[in-house]
Amino acid sequence: MNMLVEQVRADLLAFSRRPETLFFTVFLPVIFLVLFEAIFGGQSVTLAGGDVVAQSYLQVPAFMVMGVISASFVALSITVVNRRETGIFKRVRGTPAPAWLLIAGQVVTSLVIALLMVIVMLALGSFAYGVRVDIGHLPWLVAGVLVGAIAFSCLGMMLAALTPSTEAAPPLANVVVLPLYFISGVFVPIESLPTWLGNIAALLPVAPFVKIVTWAYVPATTTPWRPLGLLIAWGAIGLIIASWRFRWTPRRS
Amino acid sequence: MPAIISVRGLVKRYGDHAVVDGLDLEVQQGEVFAFLGKNGAGKTTTTEILEGYRTRDGGDVSVLGEDPANAGAAWRAKLGIVLQESRPLGALTVNETLRLFAAYFPNPHTVDEVIQLVGLEEQANQRAGRLSGGQARRLDVGIALIGRPELVFLDEPTTGFDPEARRQFWDVISGLRDLGTTVFLTTHYMDEAQVLADRVAVLRDGKIAALGTPAKLQALRGDVEIRFSLPPGVELAALPALSTQPRLTGGEVRVETTAPTADLAVLCSWAEARGLELPALTVERPTLEDVFLAISGETA
Repeated sequence: MNMLVEQVRADLLAFSRRPETLFFTVFLPVIFLVLFEAIFGGQSVTLAGGDVVAQSYLQVPAFMVMGVISASFVALSITVVNRRETGIFKRVRGTPAPAWLLIAGQVVTSLVIALLMVIVMLALGSFAYGVRVDIGHLPWLVAGVLVGAIAFSCLGMMLAALTPSTEAAPPLANVVVLPLYFISGVFVPIESLPTWLGNIAALLPVAPFVKIVTWAYVPATTTPWRPLGLLIAWGAIGLIIASWRFRWTPRRS
Repeated sequence: MPAIISVRGLVKRYGDHAVVDGLDLEVQQGEVFAFLGKNGAGKTTTTEILEGYRTRDGGDVSVLGEDPANAGAAWRAKLGIVLQESRPLGALTVNETLRLFAAYFPNPHTVDEVIQLVGLEEQANQRAGRLSGGQARRLDVGIALIGRPELVFLDEPTTGFDPEARRQFWDVISGLRDLGTTVFLTTHYMDEAQVLADRVAVLRDGKIAALGTPAKLQALRGDVEIRFSLPPGVELAALPALSTQPRLTGGEVRVETTAPTADLAVLCSWAEARGLELPALTVERPTLEDVFLAISGETA
């Protein structure tokens, strides 16, 4: 246990000292929310069910999801590739430290950062934009964020396992998430997408995650069991491919 | 006393090519053992098999009484490993790095002890990414020492060092010997082996080509070279008969001989009888470097 505490402590320290990851993971989703609020904050959206809500009710959860994905998927995959390619993982595999410790260190670290992002977004939404979580749905928010962060950590490990080099890691992670943000209701309300595109997005991992977290803010009639199941399925796919292709040593050796 | 490392008939193939081809060696407790060879001779492959990183295709290997191929965490707790290529995590300080690695081991040194051992007192709170090459390598060794290892592997630890950094590094390794730690060192620097090692093995084409103390290896090439320039107006053919045939290269006469005293006496009395001086006369023993180059198959 002491080992895990030390590992997470060191991983968090290392994370907090890398300005580029700190910016892309922590600050960028906040900057996006502030900008989107400044531009679209006064508008209203008609939901599929016919209800009309202020756009802020969709934007706050959307960028909360972006923050969690940045921490668990983008930052995680970049860090894991970096540790593998610089020989740090190989080095630790030569000590008595168990293999799970390195994975757990990374995943717990990204969960801590994801949690931080959720708190920042909750506070920002509540105090700056007057958007509050429905108390009855708070458990859904907690469960949704936890399941989402773990699922995207698994997908992050999968991406790391498939990424060939340190240089390829940041562009690959962003090439995967940026289009997904557009079609999954993060940058653009899902209601304004063509139906066929919305249908495809609904099967990919980002849209279900957005749906669950949004549900905590805007309670609709149907409980989002289906998105939750999809998210868990995506996490499982990530985990299977990650454990199949994962390696500890640099690619070049 | 049982050997710390014992290898019999080790074979490792990549495709059809045997990188390690029937290698035998033993390392005794407390010795500094240097493993020499030019690049591609199989040094790192052998070392990584001993460390448990790579599998082998044949032979028996025992390191600290266990087969590295299926040894567990308790075995790794007795090892210290410095890989050929590895950088510590740049964002953590020396202190923080050692503290993390200490957490991996059951009975570690304190961080301060190790910092003192590798001489990084002044850099203790500096980030690893801002250390010089030599300092970063010393931190690497510190990481390898934190778990109180019985056996330390160092794979080409001083490649790319300036002379000052190398000497500081050698002091650290000498300190290890004083602690009674067994050290397995690969290097392609002969002087490093000469300064540090109790015994040296020279690897060639995946086999041990020579093995012994640095002094014993040096004695392997027993011949001594007598060199001088031809005196003006004298032909090579005019020289007296010596134990071997002299060679003429660029105006310089070279006599590689196993009987230097007799040959010198003949040469000197011949020159004296004719009132000649032998310009630039020198007698040289081959250096360990020359021996290494001859054994490892490189041309001097």
